[in-house]
Amino acid sequence: MFTTSAAPPTGAVRHGPLWTRAFHAFNLVVLVVMGASGLQIYNANPVFGGRGGITVPELFTLGGWLAGGRDWHFGFMGLYAANLGLWIGLLLRRRHRRLAAVGDVGTLRASGNPPKRRLAAHRITYTLMLIVLAFSLITGLAMYKPAQFWWLVALFSFAEGAGHDSWQVLRISHLATIPAIALLLGAHVALSWRVGGLRLLRSMFV
Amino acid sequence: MSSPADGLGRRQALGLLMGGGSSLLLGGCALNGLSEAVGEATQPLNERIEALLQGRGAVPEFDRRQVQPEALLVNSFNGTPRIAPDAYRLAVRGLVRRPLNLDLAALAALPQRECVMRHVCVEGWAAIVAWSGPRLADVLALADPSPLGAYLAIRSADQYFETWDLVSALHPQTLLATHMNGAPLPVANGAPVRLASPIKLGYKLSKWVTGLELTARLGDRLGTWEDRGYEWFAGL
Ligand code: HEM
Repeated sequence: MFTTSAAPPTGAVRHGPLWTRAFHAFNLVVLVVMGASGLQIYNANPVFGGRGGITVPELFTLGGWLAGGRDWHFGFMGLYAANLGLWIGLLLRRRHRRLAAVGDVGTLRASGNPPKRRLAAHRITYTLMLIVLAFSLITGLAMYKPAQFWWLVALFSFAEGAGHDSWQVLRISHLATIPAIALLLGAHVALSWRVGGLRLLRSMFV
Repeated sequence: MSSPADGLGRRQALGLLMGGGSSLLLGGCALNGLSEAVGEATQPLNERIEALLQGRGAVPEFDRRQVQPEALLVNSFNGTPRIAPDAYRLAVRGLVRRPLNLDLAALAALPQRECVMRHVCVEGWAAIVAWSGPRLADVLALADPSPLGAYLAIRSADQYFETWDLVSALHPQTLLATHMNGAPLPVANGAPVRLASPIKLGYKLSKWVTGLELTARLGDRLGTWEDRGYEWFAGL
């Protein structure tokens, strides 16, 4: 399904099955929709600065206005959750080869073998991506249904002693998944490039 | 497997995908017109799940000392109506056997409840507020409602309009608040009577409430903001 371990020496790109490629591309679309519509929601009342706060340029938003942003954000959240669940399920089934393990951190520190180090770094990267995406889902759910998931909201009251209300902590945590996932996505693309070059990238796209 | 034509096709497809992805990011405006369609396609299912999740039990409340008066912002779509307390009447109409015009004394005579809840605005901000007054359920019970009633229409002095599902309206923490944080309700926050409930977004919580109407079904108007595109159920 993935072609990292045995890249053919020359010629043909070994494609993953069509469904994995389609699924992978679909993930990207869903993520961009969630991020851009989230930024539209942000603009209704910026997390930093409230009504006087600086808004995100319209270029990066989706929906046109608050209700439109919410249409997309909550319209796609089910797809987003299903995608994430499927990824986690798929990777857990093949966890010995795909998911990061403590051993990867050791490899990263100690191994003198660059390809091995890159593979370890890559596994750590996409494992972190899944964690960040799951965190985004949890914090989003807590703000979508705070009355039903009050116990989730309560998990974010740790800074209340310092004067930071759990709601603000939740908003910042949810927003923080955007820069976090952007960084990880950058690393994911860069590392795929170095592990398998255009061949690997193409094997996952076209 | 990879004839030249094939490869070109792939490269074009790759280009298309990249272009598509970035134009989604950069030119989202082109898709803004689809927002409503996306909402209409997904809200029925979302609302069902929301209603299912909601339950009828009480939501845990905050401690009175946690209220955040400075965090409660004021929104109004049509100015601030001023209502003389003596002249105030709450009309209860529709599918009820005993239509009523209640004055403030009648509301004060009902059991008074306090709910210390997080008031969540659709814009994203929230504030912990202690609302108090009679339960909406107790007020409706005075009018002897027909079992055919399934929705409640709520009218306000500033022409703000809302409709609720009856289950949410009868929730034990849905109040017709006359007090806020222990003091009489300020005019800006809806004096003399407003809706308060921990299970709905702020735009469902009408201020300056003057009329309740029990109906069997929803009419053409769902609500001031709902008719402009916001979600109707808006549960929390
Ligand atoms: C199932 C998953 C998700 C749910 C249920 C969800 C839910 C929500 C909710 C309820 C809000 C409004 C918060 C508020 O009122 O302040 C929101 C805002 C936002 N969401 Fe999500 N979200 C999810 C996934 C994501 C993802 C994957 C991203 C992007 C990586 C994202 C980015 C944002 C941003 C930037 C905001 C604006 C922050 C704010 O104004 O507080 N969300 N989301």
